[in-house]
Amino acid sequence: MSNTISPKSNQMPVGSVQCENTSLNLLKANDFVAKAIRDRLTDICVINICSSPGSGKTTLMQETGKRLGQDLNIAVLVGDPETERDAIRMREVGINALQIVTGGMCHIEAQMILQALDHINLENVDLLFIENVGNLVCPAAFDLGEDYRVTLLAATEGDDKPKKYPRMFLTSELMVVSKADLLPYVPFSVDAVTKDAREVNPNLDVISISSLKGDGVDEWCNWLKERVAAKKAAASVSE
Amino acid sequence: MHETGIVQEIFDTLQQEYPYRYQSIVKIQLEAGLLSNIQPILIQNAFEAYVIDEPQFAEVELEVKVLPIHAFCENCQEAFEVVFHRFVCNCGTPSSQVIQGEELRISQVIFKKEAI
Repeated sequence: MSNTISPKSNQMPVGSVQCENTSLNLLKANDFVAKAIRDRLTDICVINICSSPGSGKTTLMQETGKRLGQDLNIAVLVGDPETERDAIRMREVGINALQIVTGGMCHIEAQMILQALDHINLENVDLLFIENVGNLVCPAAFDLGEDYRVTLLAATEGDDKPKKYPRMFLTSELMVVSKADLLPYVPFSVDAVTKDAREVNPNLDVISISSLKGDGVDEWCNWLKERVAAKKAAASVSE
Repeated sequence: MHETGIVQEIFDTLQQEYPYRYQSIVKIQLEAGLLSNIQPILIQNAFEAYVIDEPQFAEVELEVKVLPIHAFCENCQEAFEVVFHRFVCNCGTPSSQVIQGEELRISQVIFKKEAI
């Protein structure tokens, strides 16, 4: 099949047209809903977790629940094209989790989150994670009303990803290098990936984590606690 | 990835904005920043596929303008163009203050003028 469709501009009715310059934002429906979420969750810190499939988002959520479950009330909305598997894995370690089945869609949209908020108990929740669909492209374009976006990059994925998927790293506040226990066995340089990622986003924080061995998890938990405290402080000022 | 949804959104948006003149549109111009993850040829294909089902728009033309990425340099107090996703100004200062490149919008609509 050829892409060479003859340009219709040849047929333009010159002299009988009216031109209007506009600025109609095509993502405005999503951004409108994202704002509604932000307005509703004034004292809950919301973190959108993004990555490729299989880089360890759910395992990190499980580990975070175990470590911070005593200090913070955590809830997770987890998106996948199919199955309830991730929500089940999180409930097994006692996390309040709700699965969003996107029905094949490659990203979560704000509308899905807004609807899910009515089906999860958010009473006294301090920290709400949105575990996005595994994909480094499309989720970058959709604001979900989050306070922070965190992107995981597993050591096994290769250190060339920030330049290949710039928008994701540009719109994130933190890059987590996951599966750090495998660093001695794979050609992945944390220094190189940090340098590359900061050329895309100079303000990006970077933490290396092994959810299985525990390295870096304390640093991650402290990063989270600071953000939760900041959100609470901001909420009490505006009250 | 979600080009067909965007084409639907284009027509929904125009119908909302121009409820009376919607049927006399002859050309739509889109502006898509390099960071919007939009491929002009895929949007064109999705558009052509859409109008096959909506023959009243068969004559409508779509133009997709790609906008380069511009970021603001605090040091120089002016914008610079970001090439190869290197968000560093010529003066060496890094910046991720994007002022252009993330947009996805309808920038111009051309209507057939009503016969007087």
